[in-house]
Amino acid sequence: MTEDDPVGADHPVEIHDLSVAYHKKPVLYGIDLKVPAGTLVGILGPNGAGKSTLIKAVMGLLPPAAGWIKIFGKPYRQNCRRVGYVPQRESVDWDFPVNVMDLVLMGRYGRLRLGQRPGATDREIARQCLDKVGMLPYAQRQIGNLSGGQQQRVFLARALAQESDLYLMDEPFAGVDAATEAAIVTLLRELKERGKTVLVVHHDLATARDYFDRLMLLNMRLVAFGPTEEVFTPEILQTTYGGRLNILSEVVQTIGSR
Amino acid sequence: MRFAAGTKRSALLLAVLIAACGDAEAARISDIAGGGLLERAARFFTFQDPSLRYALAGSILLGLACGLMGCFLVVRKLALMSDALSHAVLPGVAIGFLWNMTRDPVAIFIGATLAGLLGAATAQAITTTTRHKEDAALGFVLAAFFAVGVCLLTMIQNLPEGNKSGLDKFLFGQAAAMGAADVGLLGVVALLAIAAVALFYKEFLVTSFDAAFARSAGIPVQFFHYALMLLLAFSIVASLQAVGVVLVAAMLVIPAAAAFLLTDRLGWMLMIASLIGMLTGATGAFFSFVGRNLPTGPLMVLTAASIFTVAMVFAPRHGIFARWLRKRARNSRIGRENALKAVYRVIEDDGFRSETVSMRELAAIRRVTIEKAAIEARVLASHGLGTISGEGGDLTLTPEGWKRACEIVRNHRLWELYLTHAANISSDRVHDDAEEIEHLLGEENVRQLERRLNYARKDPHGKLIPGIEDIQSGAKGGFQTGGGTGFGRGLR
Amino acid sequence: MSGLIPAFDLSRVILDPWMETPAAAAWVVLMGALVGTSCGIVGNFLLLRRMALVGDAISHSVLLGLVGAFLIFRHVSTPLMFLGAMAAGLLTVAIIEFIHRQTRVKADAAICISFTTLFALGVTLLSLAEVGGPVHIDAECVLYGEIAFVALEPPFVWDGVALGPPSVLRMAGVTMVLVVLLVIFYKEMLITSFDGALAVSMGMRAGIWHYALMIALSLVIVSAFEAVGAILAVAMLVVPAMFAAQLSSSLPTRLWLTVAHACASALAGFHLSIWLNCSAAAAMVVCGAVFFLAAWAATSVRPRVMVPDPA
Repeated sequence: MTEDDPVGADHPVEIHDLSVAYHKKPVLYGIDLKVPAGTLVGILGPNGAGKSTLIKAVMGLLPPAAGWIKIFGKPYRQNCRRVGYVPQRESVDWDFPVNVMDLVLMGRYGRLRLGQRPGATDREIARQCLDKVGMLPYAQRQIGNLSGGQQQRVFLARALAQESDLYLMDEPFAGVDAATEAAIVTLLRELKERGKTVLVVHHDLATARDYFDRLMLLNMRLVAFGPTEEVFTPEILQTTYGGRLNILSEVVQTIGSR
Repeated sequence: MRFAAGTKRSALLLAVLIAACGDAEAARISDIAGGGLLERAARFFTFQDPSLRYALAGSILLGLACGLMGCFLVVRKLALMSDALSHAVLPGVAIGFLWNMTRDPVAIFIGATLAGLLGAATAQAITTTTRHKEDAALGFVLAAFFAVGVCLLTMIQNLPEGNKSGLDKFLFGQAAAMGAADVGLLGVVALLAIAAVALFYKEFLVTSFDAAFARSAGIPVQFFHYALMLLLAFSIVASLQAVGVVLVAAMLVIPAAAAFLLTDRLGWMLMIASLIGMLTGATGAFFSFVGRNLPTGPLMVLTAASIFTVAMVFAPRHGIFARWLRKRARNSRIGRENALKAVYRVIEDDGFRSETVSMRELAAIRRVTIEKAAIEARVLASHGLGTISGEGGDLTLTPEGWKRACEIVRNHRLWELYLTHAANISSDRVHDDAEEIEHLLGEENVRQLERRLNYARKDPHGKLIPGIEDIQSGAKGGFQTGGGTGFGRGLR
Repeated sequence: MSGLIPAFDLSRVILDPWMETPAAAAWVVLMGALVGTSCGIVGNFLLLRRMALVGDAISHSVLLGLVGAFLIFRHVSTPLMFLGAMAAGLLTVAIIEFIHRQTRVKADAAICISFTTLFALGVTLLSLAEVGGPVHIDAECVLYGEIAFVALEPPFVWDGVALGPPSVLRMAGVTMVLVVLLVIFYKEMLITSFDGALAVSMGMRAGIWHYALMIALSLVIVSAFEAVGAILAVAMLVVPAMFAAQLSSSLPTRLWLTVAHACASALAGFHLSIWLNCSAAAAMVVCGAVFFLAAWAATSVRPRVMVPDPA
């Protein structure tokens, strides 16, 4: 929305020496990176490597134990309208009494004043976003009556309705059917072409190479961050997924929990 | 529990005991009404008794406020929070009483609200700073606060001064004892609840559904959580007078849970729950006025529970009856599909020469008696999938029936092939799994399977898989097996 | 207001009860310790299974069982009451599971619905029963009992020897049975509470152990009911177990800590109740809660360890 913002516009996400701890146990340690604008970044790493934690820390959902994060050159609070978020599908109760339209409209809530109701424009935008993910025919369905892939698409539509410049997606490919996976990939490319930046937590090494133009390899520490062809090497993958860092994490955990 | 018969109480221990062991449990509106059953019912509807008017208005307002607040508890899975908070307000009631040694509604209201909020904060502190889970934290708040409350109440009973009458009624409530001030308080709370929900519906909705998303969008989640807890504490405290500490939780949770079964939209749920709450309050007040010696609070809860039971059984989409109907429909569809598949196999075994199957052949394939096969054939006929002709009741499939039969056989064989190819399961072990899956595969899944299997035409057992063009042409009236020569046959 | 908190008088609060009525004091403290121990043992397993509030539910619906048993048999007898209460406890669990499985209502709401309804039914029946009969059930004491009465019960006499108040003996019996069962079935209870799937894979029937725990729960609640009432029974279930869990992560240690906590809070609560002239059972719970708060504070002030730089 504010394309002419000069400060930090090149770096939608700038992380400096970030450490995050859960119940005194460190999950992320000394992360330092700058994400360039208009890139499609895949965040990879073994289970418990802190991939979701990083995303949550970026949005200020988890307080950093050390270091700082800037979004387009400002603290997250001041720029939260420029960020769209797709949480993990399991993080919500799908029996919740809302329908697909209600859910997508939530994407507009961040732009409305306290107590203001979504208006006709918001509905129109929500409808367009639903159409973009092919879910418009389901607008009046209760969200529990959707398949896993459809639920994920609705989540994506909600993020689109936020009309942000930076998108953070937590495992959008987890447990979806092939059609949805293809639809998500198309959508990601389209966002990139429109100059948006997308950070995607991903679990599948096999597809990571094709989907993203940059990869962030994470295992408590930032192992590597760079263009896919440079980073996607056996050595770096071995460092990320292999045993070496596990020792580090064990040591740090025992110290942290003592 | 004691049964007074035979228990001797010494004077010393009487001092330790709550004074009001007389008749403790009951809030009885009927105490204020004499006469016979019908007479009382008639008097109820004239609304002449001022205390009845207060009790009725209070009960309705209570149902409204609790119904609204309860919805958020139910969808946030915080139902037990209401139980914990309603017990946790007891010390606040005692302290509010101690403030000026009378049953002053405002002082008690403030004290109890503060105690409730302290309870909510304690529960949150325990879950965030210790390894105890939410259930333990709520149990602790419930029990520890209640114990402090009981200590204070028993100490108050021993005080020489002050007007202590009715303080014990906070345990079970007494609608009949409500005065103008109590009803006014309930009115204010109900109005506050309605105003808050109407104004901040959007915020309450998104923070309840997806707190992480709401926070990422810059909505103050914690603020709305505590706003909700504050309103909850208000509703609990205002309702204490009428239903008591123990049963407030029911007035919050039961109407909302019933509404949750009846609708799929939060807005409707709020409306239905507050309607059920008001109905419950009025009915509870009515029955305890009409029936002799019946307590108000428990009667309200029983009314609400009956409404919930009806909703649980007969709710249009989520009720047990609706589910049973859906399950039955699914089972009978599966039964029909299995019969169609058997017909297909009879025709297939015959080399697609005859289009009519006899009951004997069908029974042999289905492994049932001939009578049962005839019943299945009649079911197919009644669904327009086949026609029955001849003295033996031979079955001929309609185009629609033949299409469905081809589809189900295709699903079965595709799945078998998929399991043997993609999952490397040996071909003699895939049949049972396919028997289940064949009824569940949608058209989209089938397209994917076909693509994945390169449009294979033979299943692992070497039988033909009917393709899409067979099914379409079958429906139009001709069947080509696609295997090429010889098998073509016209089906009508 | 002035007379609310009496002056602390050492001889009145601490010494006199043991000098003047030593037997009464001993029975009350013993009862408190027994209730705390037996409830606490069951509570430890409830906490492991995250079912603390099922204990809350059962302790409320026990009222319906007691009233129901009385209405059916028109006779006040301990075994019948026990059976009635046990049936009500199991009914609560069954209703919770039914609502939870058959509808989309979640477990928390199901618990709330089930026990409040049964409790309301109990209170209604109680007030109906009161109309016709001479028997009077005191519903406030249902809520928070009165432990001090155990000292006044006519002692149970066996073979000419006065053994003690029957309810204390009953509680002791229940505690003993519970401990014996715990020793015999310790490993099964541990595994099914810790990891139900693992237990099933090892050929154990998790459902049986679940219901066994529920029966044990009903049993201790019914026997504790008389002394501490429904809601303080919940406290006895949850607080000692939470105290133990706060201090240790090994189950055997937790069980011993539970016993210690039960004895300490019974003794401290007894004296607190004499000092403040309030309900003894509630005072015991207050003391127990204070002990938990102390344990919580003690475990939170541990110095934070900074993570060293691994590089």
